Amino acid sequence: MTSLWSRLEPLLPRVEKPARYIGCEGGAIVPDHRADSTSWLLTYPDTYEIGLPNQGLQILYELLNERNDAVAERSYAPWVDLERELRSAGLPLFSVDTHRPAGDFDIIAFNLSAELVYTNVLNCIDLAGVPVRATDRADDAPLIGAGGHCAYNPEPLADFVDFFVMGDGEEVISDITDVVGAWRRAGKRPGTRETVLRELSKVAGVYVPAMYSVSYDGPRLVSVEPRYSDVPAVVQKRTVADLGAWPYPRTPLVPLTEVVHDRLQVEVFRGCTRGCRFCQAGMITRPVRERPAEQVREMISNGLARSGYDEVSLTSLSTADFSGIEDVVQGTMDDPAHCGRVSIALPSLRVDAFTVGLASQVSRARRTGLTFAPEAGSWRMRQIINKLITEEDLYGAVRSAYSEGWHRMKLYFLTGLPSEMDEDTLGIADLAANCVEIGREFTRKASVTVSLGGFVPKPHTPFQWFGQNSGDELMRKVNLVREATRRNPRVNLKWHAPEATTAEGITSRGDRRIGGVIEYVWRRGGVFQEWSEHFDLGLWEEAMAANGLSMDWYVYRHRTEDEVLPWDHIHAGLHKDFLWQDWQDALAGYGIEDCRWTPCYDCGACTEYGIEHVVASPSPPNGGSQGTGQNLSTGGFVPVELRPRAAVGGAT
Amino acid sequence: MRRSHPIGWGRWVRVRLRFSKLGKVRFVGHRDVARLFERALRKSGFPAAYSEGFNPRMRMSFGLALPTCYESEAEYLDLPIAPGGWDGDELLLVGTRQGERVSVEQVARLLSEGLPSGIDVTAAELQERGGPSLQEVITSCTWSFDLPGQDPAAIAERIDRSLAADVLIGERTRKGTRVSDDIRPAVLGLALEGASERGPVVVAELSASQRVVRPSELLTALAPGAELGVARRRHQWIDIDGARREPMPPSTSMSSPAVAGK
Repeated sequence: MTSLWSRLEPLLPRVEKPARYIGCEGGAIVPDHRADSTSWLLTYPDTYEIGLPNQGLQILYELLNERNDAVAERSYAPWVDLERELRSAGLPLFSVDTHRPAGDFDIIAFNLSAELVYTNVLNCIDLAGVPVRATDRADDAPLIGAGGHCAYNPEPLADFVDFFVMGDGEEVISDITDVVGAWRRAGKRPGTRETVLRELSKVAGVYVPAMYSVSYDGPRLVSVEPRYSDVPAVVQKRTVADLGAWPYPRTPLVPLTEVVHDRLQVEVFRGCTRGCRFCQAGMITRPVRERPAEQVREMISNGLARSGYDEVSLTSLSTADFSGIEDVVQGTMDDPAHCGRVSIALPSLRVDAFTVGLASQVSRARRTGLTFAPEAGSWRMRQIINKLITEEDLYGAVRSAYSEGWHRMKLYFLTGLPSEMDEDTLGIADLAANCVEIGREFTRKASVTVSLGGFVPKPHTPFQWFGQNSGDELMRKVNLVREATRRNPRVNLKWHAPEATTAEGITSRGDRRIGGVIEYVWRRGGVFQEWSEHFDLGLWEEAMAANGLSMDWYVYRHRTEDEVLPWDHIHAGLHKDFLWQDWQDALAGYGIEDCRWTPCYDCGACTEYGIEHVVASPSPPNGGSQGTGQNLSTGGFVPVELRPRAAVGGAT
Repeated sequence: MRRSHPIGWGRWVRVRLRFSKLGKVRFVGHRDVARLFERALRKSGFPAAYSEGFNPRMRMSFGLALPTCYESEAEYLDLPIAPGGWDGDELLLVGTRQGERVSVEQVARLLSEGLPSGIDVTAAELQERGGPSLQEVITSCTWSFDLPGQDPAAIAERIDRSLAADVLIGERTRKGTRVSDDIRPAVLGLALEGASERGPVVVAELSASQRVVRPSELLTALAPGAELGVARRRHQWIDIDGARREPMPPSTSMSSPAVAGK
């Protein structure tokens, strides 16, 4: 079927920000849909402004369109005003590239970067004209896929999604295209949907929930087992061993309307071994794979020349840890092609790796916002969560920033952490006040913004066994900090709504039964739950009760060592006994050091898959304690002996 | 390097551009169009002037803002040139095109290449110091718009009635509330031009001297309850010694805008 544009166009003057729906971005592809090409609709289940900058989606979009037997287009959740218009005009979800109906694609693939978008996933499937429950779909209906970090606990969406992808998508999308392409070319004959799903379940990294049966004993999960002998009992994640082999996106999308992260983004490494115990991203993306510094430089200069942006963001889970950081930053700043007007944003900064040198480099053009994440208010607490940065590290970074002309910065903290006591929480206010005092040595305008988030335990982390704090308890802790910072006008406190944290907790560690809850919330209009004007915790609690499920069981309860966890059949590389031991170490207050520069703990992420860290430098960059708890301010030396491993290739 | 004028002082102070905005890009808002030009200017190597201060921005000034969802064949943009950014009648490019010397027409072409399809630069000229800003001098605009599903004969009759009336009530939304006022003095011309595939096409010249009156305000008079189809600004007019002129006509040497993005 052809474009819906002529029918969409008259609707757009009636909606907010219509430029979100027209496509036409720089770097956008107008693909040629041929009879033999497998078509993917890559869908971000939140607004265009949030979804467009998503790098994962952009990478897959480009890779698929490079194949001569595949095409990919993009779609984003239409805002509620357009959804109303679409439904009353009888129009479906559409792609923004050629405005094709979503139902015409072979695969509708969702990016899951947050739990609260799950109801939007159902809404998009429905708006595409596809039955929301996988079992109700016709043989030739589009296959519904999903990937991204939240896919590591696929069970809450298992009833709605045909297949999930675990891990890096660069390679696995080709394998999936091969399987689905064969099915398409064979005509998607009646009775073959089950066959193609079973074939997909054999692709490494792909999980097809319909191929597994789940058994319970009362509230307790007993097992998730494959229904056939050729379906893997445990699904292994996919990992791209060499990021340098994937310099994508080559032609980053440049939107016509303002989006979040409206700047060039270049991924400098993937994975993180700092070992922060609350951080799912750091656990599931191991090991560290750095992009060669030369390639980073090339991607920056090509990307800036192509896009016309004057700001580049170097992305990773902790960008100051990148071996080539100072060279890349200085090289970019010195490049005459940029006329001294390009600014660099370092979105994830470890305070122990942010030095005066780096501060002065990034401040040469416009100063970008600075965010540091000490995460917890006391050293005791930071040992428990394994964020091994000292107060001196934080003050050093803050001093570097103020001395290079910054007036304010943002400090990010979590509350509701395991064994957190009121003095730990109150430590947040002290740290913030001390940072302001340091700033006042340099400027009378010094201020800090404290951003306080409620902790949600995540699957595949050492804290997956921890019972989440109730919303009331989180609010009480927020109020402690509020009270303690109230009289300091230079400390601005912002906090994430504890109600939203509670709802996130329902889906974060939920099993397949949570599907009924998500569907209940969606059917009662609970879409865009990440948006405060649409979020409604009451609806989630009502849905839990209607499904006979207990908030205490799913959210607030500590899990036990012998318990079957809903994601035990999904393997992110980390051994369960490593995670349990790390959980025990946390409770005992032991921290463990970064394994990039210290001996291996055998967490499983490298050894399971025969891959290695790819780090350009065998020693940490200058400054701070670098997660070792030691003073490494001179940099360049290795605190502990590097244990050589049976190398599979690449640097250790 | 040969310089016919000392750096920082001299004849040319800005480039004036005329551009069109047609097709899907009509849904891009005014502020976003400014950002598109900023990026296209950086890509082209144009020697742009920047504002002073903590957060320097590229200097540019548009004429009258075009409402979102409207097309245009006659948008204008003034671009101050950085000191030393020209030599003779040529511009000295910067950035990745450092060292290149180009004519103002070539700059216009580079800009069109760097803009999304549907936005095209249709004329460009170097301007000397002085002269009022675009926003101050525009007296009226000529618009065309279609009225989907309306009967041409009925519209023709209402046009005649409107032109004969002493008072013409127009409605618009201002800060979220409906306001109505007499727009008859602002209607300088009104005619049925023909029909598009959607419905009758009306052409109107509306005053911009007090405030910019928009075609949507004519709906109450022409087709109550109807929706505006595709509206397009065809001209912006200035008054020079009593004669109605355009700030800059489309260049004959540049290709006429293709209706791209359709």
